[in-house]
Amino acid sequence: MWHLIVMRRSVAILFAVLGLVLSRTAPAGAQLDFAGAGDGATHHTRVKLFLSAATVKPGDTIVAGVDLKMDAGWHTYWKNPGEAGTATKIDWTLPAGVSAGEIQWPLPHKLPPAEVATYGYEDEVMLLVPLTVAASVTPGPLTLSAKVSWLECRESCIPADDTVTAKIDAGAETQTSPEAVLIDTWKKKTPQPSGSLAFQAVWEKPAVGDTRSLLISHGPAAAEKSVQCSAVDFFPGASDNYEIEPAVEVLSALSSDIQLRKQVKKFSGDWPMQISGTVVFETGQGRSGYDVNLSVAEKVAAGTSGAATGPAAGTTAGTSPGATSLAPVDLAGTPMWQMLLYAFLGGLILNIMPCVLPVIALKILGFVSEAQSQPRHIRKLGLCYTLGVLASFLVLAGLVISFQTAGHQAGWGMQFGSPIFIVCLTTLVLLVALNLFGVFEVAVGGRAFDTASSLASKSGPAGAFFNGVLATTLATPCTAPFLAPALGFAFAQSAPVIVIFFLTVGLGLSLPYLVLSWQPAWLKFLPKPGGWMEKFKIAMGFPMLATVVWLFNIAASSYRSNVLWLGVFLVLVAFAAWIFGEFVQRGRQRKLLAGIATLLVLAGAYGFALEKELDWRAPAAGNGAGGGQATADGLDWQPWSPEAVAAARAAGKPVLVDFTADWCATCQFNKKTSIDVPAVRKKLKALDATTLVGDYTHFPEAITQELRRHHRAGVPLVLVYPAHAQVAEIVLPDGLLTPRIVLDALDGRTTPVQWGGIILWGGGAVGLVLLLAVYWRKQPAAAPTSVSRPS
Amino acid sequence: MKKTFVTLAALALAASAWAVEIGQPAPDFTGTDINGKTIKLADYQGKIVVLESYNSDCPFCHNQYKTGAAQALQKELAEKGVVWLMVNSVNPRNPSHRTASQAQQEWTDLKMAATAWIDDSTGTIGHLYGMKTTPHVFVVDKTGKVVYVGAMDDQPDPVHDPKTARNYVRETVDDLLAGKPIEVAQTKPYGCAVHY
Repeated sequence: MWHLIVMRRSVAILFAVLGLVLSRTAPAGAQLDFAGAGDGATHHTRVKLFLSAATVKPGDTIVAGVDLKMDAGWHTYWKNPGEAGTATKIDWTLPAGVSAGEIQWPLPHKLPPAEVATYGYEDEVMLLVPLTVAASVTPGPLTLSAKVSWLECRESCIPADDTVTAKIDAGAETQTSPEAVLIDTWKKKTPQPSGSLAFQAVWEKPAVGDTRSLLISHGPAAAEKSVQCSAVDFFPGASDNYEIEPAVEVLSALSSDIQLRKQVKKFSGDWPMQISGTVVFETGQGRSGYDVNLSVAEKVAAGTSGAATGPAAGTTAGTSPGATSLAPVDLAGTPMWQMLLYAFLGGLILNIMPCVLPVIALKILGFVSEAQSQPRHIRKLGLCYTLGVLASFLVLAGLVISFQTAGHQAGWGMQFGSPIFIVCLTTLVLLVALNLFGVFEVAVGGRAFDTASSLASKSGPAGAFFNGVLATTLATPCTAPFLAPALGFAFAQSAPVIVIFFLTVGLGLSLPYLVLSWQPAWLKFLPKPGGWMEKFKIAMGFPMLATVVWLFNIAASSYRSNVLWLGVFLVLVAFAAWIFGEFVQRGRQRKLLAGIATLLVLAGAYGFALEKELDWRAPAAGNGAGGGQATADGLDWQPWSPEAVAAARAAGKPVLVDFTADWCATCQFNKKTSIDVPAVRKKLKALDATTLVGDYTHFPEAITQELRRHHRAGVPLVLVYPAHAQVAEIVLPDGLLTPRIVLDALDGRTTPVQWGGIILWGGGAVGLVLLLAVYWRKQPAAAPTSVSRPS
Repeated sequence: MKKTFVTLAALALAASAWAVEIGQPAPDFTGTDINGKTIKLADYQGKIVVLESYNSDCPFCHNQYKTGAAQALQKELAEKGVVWLMVNSVNPRNPSHRTASQAQQEWTDLKMAATAWIDDSTGTIGHLYGMKTTPHVFVVDKTGKVVYVGAMDDQPDPVHDPKTARNYVRETVDDLLAGKPIEVAQTKPYGCAVHY
């Protein structure tokens, strides 16, 4: 035998022992024939089967203990064997009516060598399996049999199996067996559920190749007594597509503030969104394990919350806002089709949210002027509008995906965090308003159109497409009921799913017009085209102007008082538009001169106001400008941070958190109507509640992270943490709030969905537009169908 | 003590774990096969090379060879011009270590059909490639780039019939020869720990 030759070498004693072991293991020739598995050949593990009960009452569950005793130096493996090895398997042969549950594995050890680390057991382990005896089982003896297969390793590995059998009587009562005590001692060695210990997993940075570092943390829990652990580790569950490396870097081993760094190696597919395993603590009192199933979030960049930084902000990234609040809202169980339905409904409802209303007015105008034309033409315009919407949503989806692949977090409405985008959009919306006022016309195909009836009809497909783009762009700062959970769900999915969700929202947004353009008969309800349209058009310029003011206000948070120069720029742009409209489009002479003047004014406005004075592409960081001050109403709004929530909760105070952004119209509306109202203020004072504001205007990652934890892709998000620290926070419904909802949440109750409010709001918005239309319809259509200006 | 150990473990892993990356050049090495012949990876430039960590006392490896599946694959690939290098990194103190003569005997007994069996009892090549398990397979394309790392097949146990399993090495080589992208470029290796 070969190992005898090895024995000739030094360290003879050691090899004598090995030789003995091997000659037991592998009788002559057996080294080349491992058919030995299960054939009764000597192996190094002995198996026994114990039951927790001597008799069992049908309907009860007992515990079976499969006990493996290994010879010295030999080990068997855990459910995740680690970098090598195989988990022990148990195949039951059970009488009808008896069923086996999953194996409960005692806490394993990480076994050397370090370069190929595995998880397993030395000496002895008892694997526990719940056995349920159905109520239908007739009393009498039952034979329970288990084929146990394992891999045992020392200097080499041997697969083996054995069949163990135990008998139990089904009877009137469940009576414990003498072995129950032994089973119980092993039961105590299995990991506990993580319960109130709030663990969290965060990707530390973007992947390097197929490797990515993961931070697993817990705490800091303020109330807990802290003990220095002698060892802390995370043993991951088994996985095929990736591997969480056994090596661990312990950043903090305080029992109240555990922080680990692990390397994750990906084999195929996407980075895992969810990881499960066992967090292992070792203290003077021994080892304990907690089973966890964690959603993996992106890292919180230190200090971006704009808040007072917690202790060692760099490493406490992603710490919990409260000890019990970490379990994210469980959306995993919601089927995809339902989420898609939500996305669709959300898109539909977006139509009546305040952001999109000005564009709706334009659409209605378009339809009115179209009502008399060819159905085919109307359909074509409806399709173009839909295409405009869908194309814009595709662009948005592309942005989100490219952001995410670059390792950043993306959010709904995130482009509103970019001042450059705001400046461009402000300018664009101003031009739309000026166009509606008739200051200048949009030239298509080299011709200027200037009558109301030609606004949409003759500007044709391009105009309809533009309307779609504008509707989408203006829609993004609003979220609607249904939209928030759907997008929150979608943002955590793979690229194709994100695209499908965005397109579904787009379909929802454009559906009403698509349907109307396919059923022109329904347009009969709309007023006849007439002179009123010119007035209506000008009237609709004012909501656009209001939008400009709103956007200007957002820009103010980036540029501070310098925003004055944006105002100067806008005035100059308006002036240039007027020169263009009056002297180039409608002028008779010196058109070239007027054109040059237009360009000069524009160039001057851009070069002086935007570039020189405003320095618009590199604004001084205006982080947190929107939050953190006490407002005049007496509510002391403090900046949000996980630490601030934890501190308030530790002090036993209820907490209200308002995640908001300057550009988030829904947020502002909610604050005005439902949070910053006397009843709620009184309640907050009475409860001595802490009010925190999370400012998402500039898209800080800390808040993106927190939103993601609640399966939201963007603001608004309002959270209420009850005073009792053991109770999880209440997530207020997305979309529009009422004071009732907020008050109920402060009382620890959730309010049923306020359909009444939603319908009232939606109905009101649609009603207003229809009322305007009907009013004009009653006006005699005597006026000429087009109010032409000399051209 | 334990902490020191863990730190050392982390360092050892950091050094060895990501030695090879898909799409990156395979690190060159020079070794000696069981017949005393010098084997240098760079000499096989222009050919597809399969590296297989091997230990016949490991039931996972042995399952591939006792069924004849590994030898059949070695023959099949040899006919396609593929080089198959077995790398045995078992340390000399381990009872599973094979001296040159033992290895030659095993080669004959099992009718092995690989290009060479490299004696890597120092663990140099194993560590260079971050070989964790036996078997742990690496496929290098004709330009010297690593194109597959992982398991031999999709059945991570020592008792299946390898001939009916989905063999990732064959798939990778066939994809390479057909000029197709590699469908599965990485899998979790399974088997016994390499006994460095």
